[in-house]
Amino acid sequence: MKFGNLLKKELRELLTKQAIISMVFTMVLLIVMGQVVGGAMAEGFDTSTITLCNQDDSDFTKDMLEKVAASKGTELKYVELQSDDYATELERLDIKNVVIIPQGYGESIIDKKEPAQIKFVSKMQNGGMTSSMSTISASDVISTIESVCTDEVLLKNYGLNDDDIKLIREPMQLVEYTTLNGKTSQISASALSAVTMMQSMIAPMVIFILLLMASQMIMTAISTEKIDKTLETLLSAPVSRLNVLGAKMVAAVISALLNAAFMGVGFAFYMMGMMGSAVNEISSTASEAIPEQAMAGVTSLSQGMTELGLTLTPVSYVLFALQLFLTVAIGLAISLILGAMATDVKSVQTLTMPIMIAVMIPFFITMFMDVNSMSTVFKFIVYAIPFTHTYTALTNLMNGDMLTYWIGLVYQIIFFAVCMFLAVKVFTTDRLFTMSFNLDKSTKKRGKKTAADSQ
Amino acid sequence: MAAVLEVQGLSKKYPKKENFAVDDVSFSVNEGEIFALIGPNGAGKTTTIRMISTLIQATSGDALVAGHSIIKEPDKVRESITYLPDEAGAYKTMTGINYLNFMAGLFAKDKETLDKYVERGKAICGLGDRLEEKIGGYSRGMIRKLLLARAVMTEPKLAIMDEATSGLDVINALEIRKMIKALAKEQNMAFLLSSHNMLEIEYVSDRVGIITGGKLMVVGKIDELKERYEAANLEEVFERVVKNHEVR
Repeated sequence: MKFGNLLKKELRELLTKQAIISMVFTMVLLIVMGQVVGGAMAEGFDTSTITLCNQDDSDFTKDMLEKVAASKGTELKYVELQSDDYATELERLDIKNVVIIPQGYGESIIDKKEPAQIKFVSKMQNGGMTSSMSTISASDVISTIESVCTDEVLLKNYGLNDDDIKLIREPMQLVEYTTLNGKTSQISASALSAVTMMQSMIAPMVIFILLLMASQMIMTAISTEKIDKTLETLLSAPVSRLNVLGAKMVAAVISALLNAAFMGVGFAFYMMGMMGSAVNEISSTASEAIPEQAMAGVTSLSQGMTELGLTLTPVSYVLFALQLFLTVAIGLAISLILGAMATDVKSVQTLTMPIMIAVMIPFFITMFMDVNSMSTVFKFIVYAIPFTHTYTALTNLMNGDMLTYWIGLVYQIIFFAVCMFLAVKVFTTDRLFTMSFNLDKSTKKRGKKTAADSQ
Repeated sequence: MAAVLEVQGLSKKYPKKENFAVDDVSFSVNEGEIFALIGPNGAGKTTTIRMISTLIQATSGDALVAGHSIIKEPDKVRESITYLPDEAGAYKTMTGINYLNFMAGLFAKDKETLDKYVERGKAICGLGDRLEEKIGGYSRGMIRKLLLARAVMTEPKLAIMDEATSGLDVINALEIRKMIKALAKEQNMAFLLSSHNMLEIEYVSDRVGIITGGKLMVVGKIDELKERYEAANLEEVFERVVKNHEVR
């Protein structure tokens, strides 16, 4: 009854209306951002309409452009430029880019047998990713023009037929295979990496948020009680200190999980919205690269991922959850100790720093590189941070590297036991009231010592 | 009258400190008695109170609360006491009534007792409909009244209060003093108070103990002490004991 009473109180303190509104708002914001950014990226990738200014009236150019339009089902949108002031012209026509085929283009290639210029004008709107995407997709169109142009030259200048041109154009048939940990699948590595990148970003992000939220919550809960002296009132009541400690930890875990769930859903939608267009683009490109006869071996990305062992089994999920739980428990135990040292709000902020650093280092390292590829010294330093093992757990479980997983788990269990022992020691002794960390005080002391030394 | 609190040679030495914060302190508080522990800042009042409240451990000595040792039976001691720290706050996100319910829940063994405690708390604090509001919006006086109600609603054998009226205006402070006197007289509740306000102590206490440098110098009824030190008031007694270290 008393534990339930304490837990209810802790949850009421942590899950206020404002906290829940903030969680929902963040999730909705991420979903909306994903849609907005995804829409902008899809627009950037859009190759269905090419804005073209054709200043050449030769038959060669006309035939070539017809084939360009037919080759990809692309609609050519013709515009007329009134001057060479491209900035003003793009603004006037309200277009992002334009391909200009100058007068004499056909004549130069067919009659003079000389390469001719094609101009491509693109407007950079800002430094954002979507802005450069329209340039990338337009470049794709230019390479199509180049390809069709080559066909026309071969056809008209050298009298080759369509079959000859096709053979020259596609002298090989690319069938892509990807291997991973001894397993092979007939799937494009680029298509695969786009999907795994999305997965590998969501999990660490959720771990990151979960850890920071839980740690900050418990630290604030303990320090606020200590500063407001409600802790003294609470601990002089007939209730076990371990019950108080347990209620705080359980409430922090529940709140953090709720936070992580909202953020995780929001972030997943954000990534899906943002990456969806990119994945579709890469997947469709990969499919096009695989000839029909080879397509028999490839059905889908998900099948390829299963073949390569890149999907998690229910047991793997349980193992990952176990390590996630241990990570949060370690974070909470450390935060309990640090929170008990707080004397005011300023010291709480300072005491949060060690946890933040320990959470951020493995987060950024594992996001951008493989820990195992680091030098031995750095590898051990990074692995000494207990949170690292949870960041790498998913990869280890996917890759079937169970030895590394179990070593990480055992290390975390030992680390948790030590931290919990210290936390209980702090909470059940005078240290809870006598331990303090005051940056101003220690700075003053140092200052005095320095002044005394100099006298 | 039976002693509710018997402090026997209680001492406390903090690690890395040369001197004892509390040095061999002994006194007792009887049923229905209001005992005040007074002394200058850093004298050892709060440390003594914290040891009796089982918040920190004594280096040596013991104290019996309703016959239970603070060293051997801290759980039993906590069932018999309530503690109101100096400048204590309450949970700002809770309403007053939720706070009383929460605290009563830590003492009550069944629903009937819990309801009885809460009803008592509501009557003592006198906050009426304001109890339905969040504590975050309470004035200092309202919070102190709520905390005092919390401290006495469970009918503890010993209520320990550190600076019970600090920071309160005259009217609120007077109300709280009257409340303490009434509870001691009518409910036979024992109080261990700590305060810097000598007028308050003179008004409310039956006996006082003057502590300085961790040592309890003198204990006695206020009138007896005034007579013993030939002093006009408690302040003069305090000055002679603390400043001149006179022990009579």
